[in-house]
Amino acid sequence: MNKRRLMVICLMLVVVWLSGCATTQTVQKPYRISPQGTVIWDDEFEFAPPPLGWKLLIPEEGGDINIGFMRMDRGPFPSSTTFAYDEEPFGFSTQFEGREIEFFKRFLFNAILQFQILERKKVQVIGGEGLAVTVEGKDPVKKEKVRAKVIFGKRGERVIGFYITQWRPLDGTYDLSAFEDFDKFFNSFKFLKKSFYETL
Amino acid sequence: MEGHQRNLYLYERFNARVLGVSRDDVTTLKYWAKGLGLTFPLLSNVTGFLGVYFHTQPDGKPIFGRRTVIIDKNGIIRYVRDGSPEFKDILLFLKKLNQEGGKP
Repeated sequence: MNKRRLMVICLMLVVVWLSGCATTQTVQKPYRISPQGTVIWDDEFEFAPPPLGWKLLIPEEGGDINIGFMRMDRGPFPSSTTFAYDEEPFGFSTQFEGREIEFFKRFLFNAILQFQILERKKVQVIGGEGLAVTVEGKDPVKKEKVRAKVIFGKRGERVIGFYITQWRPLDGTYDLSAFEDFDKFFNSFKFLKKSFYETL
Repeated sequence: MEGHQRNLYLYERFNARVLGVSRDDVTTLKYWAKGLGLTFPLLSNVTGFLGVYFHTQPDGKPIFGRRTVIIDKNGIIRYVRDGSPEFKDILLFLKKLNQEGGKP
């Protein structure tokens, strides 16, 4: 009996010890909050965080984006919005016009969408020239649609991108307040140091 | 491949040239390169001897495994990595090689 009780205690100790190990393990966050309330990301980027309701997307190693946020919107599937900063947007041209064509060949290519350009204009991106393209894509088979805004800018010699995609059922209504949150994120964005490519 | 195309100006800066090698036939590669807008050479090696030479030919499979190989100007293999290319790693290696004078 004593032997059995001792074994239970030993097992409990092991469990406690293991759980103790789990709690002492720290996960290094890639960001910190500045005294001004902005996000400092990897000591490389600074931006204003979006309002509550946006969930941070932690990028995978070698993934498509560097920083992203997502929120589930009201309404039936696929009502959701995602926006991101991407250091390596699809394509390779260093001129915006060429990059726009290359980018949209692959943007949301898993969905078979018929894109229509809603607006295309020159903008200022982090103190330099840029190009903003707003599109709407429709999938009549799945009965889904997406409104997206893509902003191309430059970091050194390379083109970088900001984009937002908002999915809705085909008869759904877009929530343009999400695009305002994206614009605030984009307008607050700063580079705190030279990129890897600029240091080569 | 798009990543290599994006980095061509840097390869140029480091006196390096990039080539792709595939077991696909020439016609397939032409269409593929056109679709992606690739401007660097792609070599068609249908018989697969280059895969055997570079140890990227899996047994019984008609394709090459993904491998990045950097060869210096003396024909010596200086860098080998499997899987998707680690572009930053490749660029740093080419920069170092160029500084050494061992132009790839």
